[in-house]
Amino acid sequence: MSGFTAFFKKEMIEYVRGYKALILFCIFVIFGMMSPLLAKMMPDILAHTAVNGITLTIPKPTFTDSFSQFFKNFSQMGMVVLLLVFGGLLSQDLSRGTLIILLSKGLSRHAVILAKYAAALVLWTVSYVLAALIQWGYTVYLFNRLSAPHLFFSLFCLWLFGAFLLAVLLMSSSIVGGAYGGLILTAAGLGVLILCQLIPNMDRFSPLTLALGNAGFMTGAANFDHAETSVWIAIALILLSLVVTLTVFKKKSL
Amino acid sequence: MTQISNLLPLLIPIIVLELILIIAALIHIFRHKTYRFGNRLLWVIIVLCFQLIGPIVYFIFGRGDD
Repeated sequence: MSGFTAFFKKEMIEYVRGYKALILFCIFVIFGMMSPLLAKMMPDILAHTAVNGITLTIPKPTFTDSFSQFFKNFSQMGMVVLLLVFGGLLSQDLSRGTLIILLSKGLSRHAVILAKYAAALVLWTVSYVLAALIQWGYTVYLFNRLSAPHLFFSLFCLWLFGAFLLAVLLMSSSIVGGAYGGLILTAAGLGVLILCQLIPNMDRFSPLTLALGNAGFMTGAANFDHAETSVWIAIALILLSLVVTLTVFKKKSL
Repeated sequence: MTQISNLLPLLIPIIVLELILIIAALIHIFRHKTYRFGNRLLWVIIVLCFQLIGPIVYFIFGRGDD
């Protein structure tokens, strides 16, 4: 256990010194501030871009629109940023060989993996919660508050998808070598998930639903029961990837 | 347009955060001589021209080992 805490602290320090914490916080806070503003200004922006003399009129933006904008930003750019920042999660250490000394000093391999996942998860959670709180504050200030059912659940789904991505990233980094091998494999995996979305009724099982349906949960457009199934599937997949990572990494020669 | 000027105070924190990222990246670029690839001029251009993405790409891919 002491190995876990020591390695966890080392990871956290590395995130701060490597500017990763700074990047995540800045970008996510910007998203949190920008989404309500964008939603609010959208009619103005469209009014000034007249297409061939046709002025577009869209309905007055609402509380829900602000959160839709937030989910759109986060599920696209947010996930790209998350992947980029945590891309070298394990691969970088493996390719530089920095883990060998620590492991030969008696640090258990399980502790390395678990501490790495925990540190990444903590950083993601803190920055995401911060962004969501700022988003909430700005939205309440700028818009009339409406009842948005399942708002917390939608936010939770996106968080869970981030946690799922991190687990997959860790797993692929332990399987493939190279400084960016894990990142590339994860991106490929995401591509496969997006392709699977074409199969009818797939949204029920794919974890991707967690990142795509968020705005739909609030308006009732997305099926809530399907989302619940994918939550459980995502949790199962996270645990599975962690187990796979632990087994692969235990046997891996460094 | 009146509405946009009303929202200006809310836009300022966003601009400040973007500037923090850009300045942090620029300071790092000018303090270090070696990069994983590219040269100083290239990175300065990337950081200044691509908002948000520029500094991220520099810190993740361009930053040499200390």
